[in-house]
Amino acid sequence: MYSTESQSMSSNPYQWVEKLKSESHREEAVGKLRVILMGGLKGAFFRRGQNDAFCEDVCQESLIRVMKNIDSFEGRSKFTTWAISIAIRVGISELRRRHHKDVSLDAITSGNDMKIELAITEDDVSGNAIDQRAILETLSNLIENQLTEKQRTVVRALLGGMPVEEIARRTNSNRNAVYKLFHDAKQRLKSGFENSNFSLSDIESVFA
Amino acid sequence: MPLSKQQISTLISLVVNSTPDSLSCDDCLVNVAEFAETELMGTSLCESMLKVKQHLNNCPCCNDEYQSLLEALRSLNN
Ligand SMILES: [Zn+2]
Repeated sequence: MYSTESQSMSSNPYQWVEKLKSESHREEAVGKLRVILMGGLKGAFFRRGQNDAFCEDVCQESLIRVMKNIDSFEGRSKFTTWAISIAIRVGISELRRRHHKDVSLDAITSGNDMKIELAITEDDVSGNAIDQRAILETLSNLIENQLTEKQRTVVRALLGGMPVEEIARRTNSNRNAVYKLFHDAKQRLKSGFENSNFSLSDIESVFA
Repeated sequence: MPLSKQQISTLISLVVNSTPDSLSCDDCLVNVAEFAETELMGTSLCESMLKVKQHLNNCPCCNDEYQSLLEALRSLNN
Protein backbone atom coordinates (compact mmCIF):
# COMPACT_ATOMS: atom_id res chain seq x y z
CA MET A 1 0.00 0.00 0.00
CA TYR A 2 2.80 2.45 0.85
CA SER A 3 4.52 3.64 -2.37
CA THR A 4 8.30 3.88 -2.48
CA GLU A 5 8.08 7.66 -2.41
CA SER A 6 5.67 7.57 0.51
CA GLN A 7 8.09 5.26 2.32
CA SER A 8 10.98 7.64 1.75
CA MET A 9 8.76 10.44 3.05
CA SER A 10 8.16 8.34 6.15
CA SER A 11 11.89 8.23 6.91
CA ASN A 12 11.71 12.00 7.25
CA PRO A 13 8.23 12.64 8.62
CA TYR A 14 8.56 16.39 8.17
CA GLN A 15 8.68 15.94 4.39
CA TRP A 16 4.96 15.26 4.56
CA VAL A 17 4.44 18.45 6.53
CA GLU A 18 6.52 20.47 4.09
CA LYS A 19 4.71 19.10 1.05
CA LEU A 20 1.26 19.45 2.59
CA LYS A 21 2.06 23.07 3.42
CA SER A 22 3.64 23.88 0.07
CA GLU A 23 1.27 25.35 -2.50
CA SER A 24 2.98 23.58 -5.37
CA HIS A 25 3.07 20.12 -3.75
CA ARG A 26 -0.06 20.17 -1.62
CA GLU A 27 -2.48 18.65 -4.09
CA GLU A 28 -0.23 15.72 -4.88
CA ALA A 29 0.61 15.13 -1.20
CA VAL A 30 -3.06 15.26 -0.20
CA GLY A 31 -3.80 12.71 -2.92
CA LYS A 32 -1.13 10.36 -1.59
CA LEU A 33 -2.24 10.81 1.99
CA ARG A 34 -5.84 10.14 0.96
CA VAL A 35 -4.82 6.77 -0.55
CA ILE A 36 -2.95 5.78 2.61
CA LEU A 37 -5.76 6.89 4.93
CA MET A 38 -8.33 5.02 2.86
CA GLY A 39 -6.23 1.84 3.05
CA GLY A 40 -6.01 2.12 6.83
CA LEU A 41 -9.65 3.06 7.28
CA LYS A 42 -10.83 0.12 5.17
CA GLY A 43 -8.59 -2.21 7.21
CA ALA A 44 -10.12 -0.94 10.43
CA PHE A 45 -13.74 -0.29 9.51
CA PHE A 46 -14.72 -3.00 7.04
CA ARG A 47 -14.50 -5.46 9.92
CA ARG A 48 -16.86 -3.17 11.84
CA GLY A 49 -19.42 -3.59 9.08
CA GLN A 50 -18.75 -0.28 7.32
CA ASN A 51 -18.39 0.31 3.56
CA ASP A 52 -16.41 2.45 1.10
CA ALA A 53 -18.78 5.40 1.43
CA PHE A 54 -18.32 5.50 5.20
CA CYS A 55 -14.52 5.34 4.84
CA GLU A 56 -14.57 8.09 2.20
CA ASP A 57 -16.59 10.41 4.45
CA VAL A 58 -14.28 9.73 7.37
CA CYS A 59 -11.24 10.21 5.13
CA GLN A 60 -12.49 13.58 3.93
CA GLU A 61 -13.16 14.82 7.47
CA SER A 62 -9.81 13.41 8.64
CA LEU A 63 -7.87 15.23 5.91
CA ILE A 64 -9.43 18.49 7.09
CA ARG A 65 -8.57 17.62 10.71
CA VAL A 66 -4.98 16.67 9.80
CA MET A 67 -4.41 19.92 7.88
CA LYS A 68 -5.89 21.94 10.74
CA ASN A 69 -3.62 20.28 13.31
CA ILE A 70 -0.54 19.83 11.15
CA ASP A 71 1.59 22.16 13.29
CA SER A 72 0.97 19.98 16.33
CA PHE A 73 2.71 17.01 14.64
CA GLU A 74 5.89 16.48 16.66
CA GLY A 75 7.66 13.96 14.42
CA ARG A 76 7.73 11.22 17.07
CA SER A 77 6.10 8.72 14.70
CA LYS A 78 5.71 8.41 10.96
CA PHE A 79 3.51 11.20 9.71
CA THR A 80 1.11 8.67 8.19
CA THR A 81 0.74 6.78 11.50
CA TRP A 82 -0.11 10.07 13.19
CA ALA A 83 -2.64 10.92 10.48
CA ILE A 84 -4.22 7.46 10.69
CA SER A 85 -4.55 7.76 14.48
CA ILE A 86 -6.56 10.94 13.92
CA ALA A 87 -8.67 9.29 11.21
CA ILE A 88 -9.47 6.32 13.46
CA ARG A 89 -10.75 8.62 16.19
CA VAL A 90 -12.85 10.53 13.62
CA GLY A 91 -14.33 7.25 12.34
CA ILE A 92 -15.04 5.69 15.72
CA SER A 93 -16.53 8.93 17.04
CA GLU A 94 -18.88 8.96 14.06
CA LEU A 95 -19.88 5.33 14.67
CA ARG A 96 -20.52 6.10 18.34
CA ARG A 97 -22.56 9.16 17.45
CA ARG A 98 -24.72 7.17 15.02
CA HIS A 99 -25.14 4.24 17.38
CA HIS A 100 -26.27 6.39 20.30
CA LYS A 101 -28.13 8.99 18.23
CA ASP A 102 -31.53 8.26 19.73
CA VAL A 103 -30.41 7.23 23.21
CA SER A 104 -30.87 9.72 26.00
CA LEU A 105 -28.67 9.76 29.09
CA ASP A 106 -31.79 9.39 31.24
CA ALA A 107 -32.71 6.17 29.47
CA ILE A 108 -29.40 4.67 30.50
CA THR A 109 -29.08 6.11 33.98
CA SER A 110 -32.73 5.19 34.57
CA GLY A 111 -34.02 8.65 35.21
CA ASN A 112 -35.06 8.77 38.82
CA ASP A 113 -32.33 9.83 41.24
CA MET A 114 -29.21 8.53 39.46
CA LYS A 115 -28.74 6.10 42.31
CA ILE A 116 -27.05 2.82 41.45
CA GLU A 117 -29.20 0.09 42.82
CA LEU A 118 -27.61 -3.33 43.09
CA ALA A 119 -29.84 -6.25 42.37
CA ILE A 120 -28.98 -8.98 44.82
CA THR A 121 -31.15 -11.96 44.09
CA GLU A 122 -30.85 -15.54 45.27
CA ASP A 123 -29.72 -16.50 41.75
CA ASP A 124 -26.77 -14.13 42.00
CA VAL A 125 -25.46 -15.51 45.24
CA SER A 126 -24.79 -19.10 44.37
CA GLY A 127 -21.34 -20.57 45.05
CA ASN A 128 -19.49 -18.13 47.27
CA ALA A 129 -22.84 -16.86 48.44
CA ILE A 130 -21.79 -15.11 51.62
CA ASP A 131 -18.77 -13.41 50.08
CA GLN A 132 -20.72 -12.27 47.04
CA ARG A 133 -23.46 -10.77 49.12
CA ALA A 134 -21.01 -9.03 51.46
CA ILE A 135 -18.94 -7.69 48.56
CA LEU A 136 -22.03 -6.40 46.78
CA GLU A 137 -23.18 -4.67 49.94
CA THR A 138 -19.74 -3.07 50.33
CA LEU A 139 -19.81 -1.96 46.67
CA SER A 140 -23.29 -0.55 47.09
CA ASN A 141 -22.24 1.42 50.17
CA LEU A 142 -19.10 2.71 48.44
CA ILE A 143 -21.10 3.83 45.41
CA GLU A 144 -23.57 5.58 47.66
CA ASN A 145 -21.10 7.22 50.03
CA GLN A 146 -17.81 7.66 48.16
CA LEU A 147 -18.96 8.85 44.73
CA THR A 148 -20.35 12.21 43.74
CA GLU A 149 -23.62 12.34 41.83
CA LYS A 150 -21.75 13.21 38.63
CA GLN A 151 -19.44 10.24 39.10
CA ARG A 152 -22.42 7.92 39.66
CA THR A 153 -24.06 9.18 36.48
CA VAL A 154 -20.93 8.63 34.42
CA VAL A 155 -20.28 5.15 35.84
CA ARG A 156 -23.92 4.19 35.26
CA ALA A 157 -23.89 5.49 31.67
CA LEU A 158 -20.61 3.75 30.83
CA LEU A 159 -21.88 0.48 32.23
CA GLY A 160 -24.97 1.02 30.08
CA GLY A 161 -22.66 1.06 27.05
CA MET A 162 -22.49 4.80 26.37
CA PRO A 163 -18.96 5.95 25.42
CA VAL A 164 -17.32 8.91 27.21
CA GLU A 165 -17.66 11.33 24.31
CA GLU A 166 -21.40 10.63 24.00
CA ILE A 167 -21.85 11.22 27.73
CA ALA A 168 -19.89 14.45 27.29
CA ARG A 169 -22.17 15.53 24.43
CA ARG A 170 -25.24 15.03 26.63
CA THR A 171 -23.83 16.77 29.70
CA ASN A 172 -22.29 19.81 27.97
CA SER A 173 -18.89 18.54 29.01
CA ASN A 174 -15.88 17.17 27.16
CA ARG A 175 -14.33 13.73 26.79
CA ASN A 176 -11.35 14.50 29.05
CA ALA A 177 -13.57 15.70 31.91
CA VAL A 178 -15.95 12.73 31.64
CA TYR A 179 -13.03 10.30 31.57
CA LYS A 180 -11.58 11.95 34.69
CA LEU A 181 -14.91 11.55 36.54
CA PHE A 182 -14.94 7.87 35.57
CA HIS A 183 -11.32 7.26 36.50
CA ASP A 184 -11.57 9.08 39.84
CA ALA A 185 -14.71 7.06 40.61
CA LYS A 186 -12.89 3.78 39.94
CA GLN A 187 -9.95 4.84 42.11
CA ARG A 188 -12.28 5.81 44.97
CA LEU A 189 -14.09 2.48 44.77
CA LYS A 190 -10.78 0.64 44.62
CA SER A 191 -9.43 2.43 47.65
CA GLY A 192 -12.72 1.71 49.45
CA PHE A 193 -12.33 -1.98 48.69
CA GLU A 194 -8.69 -1.89 49.83
CA ASN A 195 -9.87 -0.54 53.18
CA SER A 196 -12.53 -3.26 53.48
CA ASN A 197 -12.14 -6.82 54.72
CA PHE A 198 -11.69 -8.25 51.21
CA SER A 199 -8.55 -8.58 49.15
CA LEU A 200 -8.79 -7.31 45.55
CA SER A 201 -7.88 -10.73 44.18
CA ASP A 202 -10.65 -12.37 46.25
CA ILE A 203 -13.15 -9.79 45.04
CA GLU A 204 -12.21 -10.39 41.41
CA SER A 205 -12.24 -14.17 41.72
CA VAL A 206 -15.67 -14.21 43.35
CA PHE A 207 -17.12 -12.30 40.37
CA ALA A 208 -15.02 -13.82 37.58
CA MET B 1 -33.15 -0.09 36.90
CA PRO B 2 -30.66 -2.09 38.98
CA LEU B 3 -27.29 -3.07 37.57
CA SER B 4 -27.33 -6.43 35.86
CA LYS B 5 -25.09 -9.25 37.00
CA GLN B 6 -22.90 -8.66 33.93
CA GLN B 7 -22.60 -4.93 34.69
CA ILE B 8 -21.63 -5.63 38.30
CA SER B 9 -18.97 -8.04 37.10
CA THR B 10 -17.67 -5.47 34.59
CA LEU B 11 -17.60 -2.72 37.22
CA ILE B 12 -15.73 -4.89 39.70
CA SER B 13 -13.17 -5.85 37.08
CA LEU B 14 -12.70 -2.19 36.02
CA VAL B 15 -12.31 -1.10 39.66
CA VAL B 16 -9.94 -3.87 40.72
CA ASN B 17 -7.74 -3.37 37.64
CA SER B 18 -7.77 0.42 37.81
CA THR B 19 -4.29 1.96 38.10
CA PRO B 20 -3.13 5.58 38.46
CA ASP B 21 -3.42 7.44 35.16
CA SER B 22 -1.91 10.85 34.48
CA LEU B 23 -3.15 11.20 30.88
CA SER B 24 -6.38 12.51 29.44
CA CYS B 25 -7.96 11.01 26.32
CA ASP B 26 -6.56 13.90 24.25
CA ASP B 27 -3.05 13.34 25.69
CA CYS B 28 -3.45 9.71 24.68
CA LEU B 29 -4.34 10.66 21.09
CA VAL B 30 -1.25 12.90 20.86
CA ASN B 31 0.99 9.96 21.81
CA VAL B 32 -0.81 6.91 20.47
CA ALA B 33 0.85 6.87 17.03
CA GLU B 34 4.31 6.64 18.61
CA PHE B 35 3.01 4.05 21.07
CA ALA B 36 1.54 1.89 18.28
CA GLU B 37 4.81 1.96 16.31
CA THR B 38 6.79 1.07 19.43
CA GLU B 39 4.48 -1.85 20.21
CA LEU B 40 4.49 -3.14 16.63
CA MET B 41 8.30 -3.07 16.57
CA GLY B 42 8.40 -4.81 19.95
CA THR B 43 10.84 -2.28 21.41
CA SER B 44 10.75 -1.45 25.10
CA LEU B 45 8.58 1.39 26.33
CA CYS B 46 10.05 4.62 27.67
CA GLU B 47 8.35 6.41 30.57
CA SER B 48 6.06 8.53 28.41
CA MET B 49 4.96 5.44 26.46
CA LEU B 50 4.27 3.59 29.73
CA LYS B 51 1.85 6.39 30.58
CA VAL B 52 0.03 5.75 27.29
CA LYS B 53 -0.14 2.06 28.14
CA GLN B 54 -1.62 2.90 31.55
CA HIS B 55 -4.26 5.12 29.96
CA LEU B 56 -5.17 2.41 27.45
CA ASN B 57 -5.53 -0.08 30.33
CA ASN B 58 -7.85 2.31 32.16
CA CYS B 59 -9.86 3.86 29.31
CA PRO B 60 -12.10 1.45 27.36
CA CYS B 61 -12.85 4.10 24.70
CA CYS B 62 -9.22 4.92 23.87
CA ASN B 63 -8.40 1.23 23.98
CA ASP B 64 -11.12 0.50 21.44
CA GLU B 65 -9.64 3.17 19.15
CA TYR B 66 -6.15 1.78 19.68
CA GLN B 67 -7.23 -1.71 18.58
CA SER B 68 -8.63 -0.21 15.38
CA LEU B 69 -5.44 1.77 14.83
CA LEU B 70 -3.45 -1.46 15.04
CA GLU B 71 -5.81 -3.07 12.52
CA ALA B 72 -5.37 -0.11 10.18
CA LEU B 73 -1.56 -0.21 10.44
CA ARG B 74 -1.42 -3.98 9.99
CA SER B 75 -3.60 -3.79 6.90
CA LEU B 76 -1.27 -1.15 5.41
CA ASN B 77 1.80 -3.23 6.14
CA ASN B 78 0.38 -6.32 4.43
ZN1 LIG C 1 -9.14 7.78 26.96
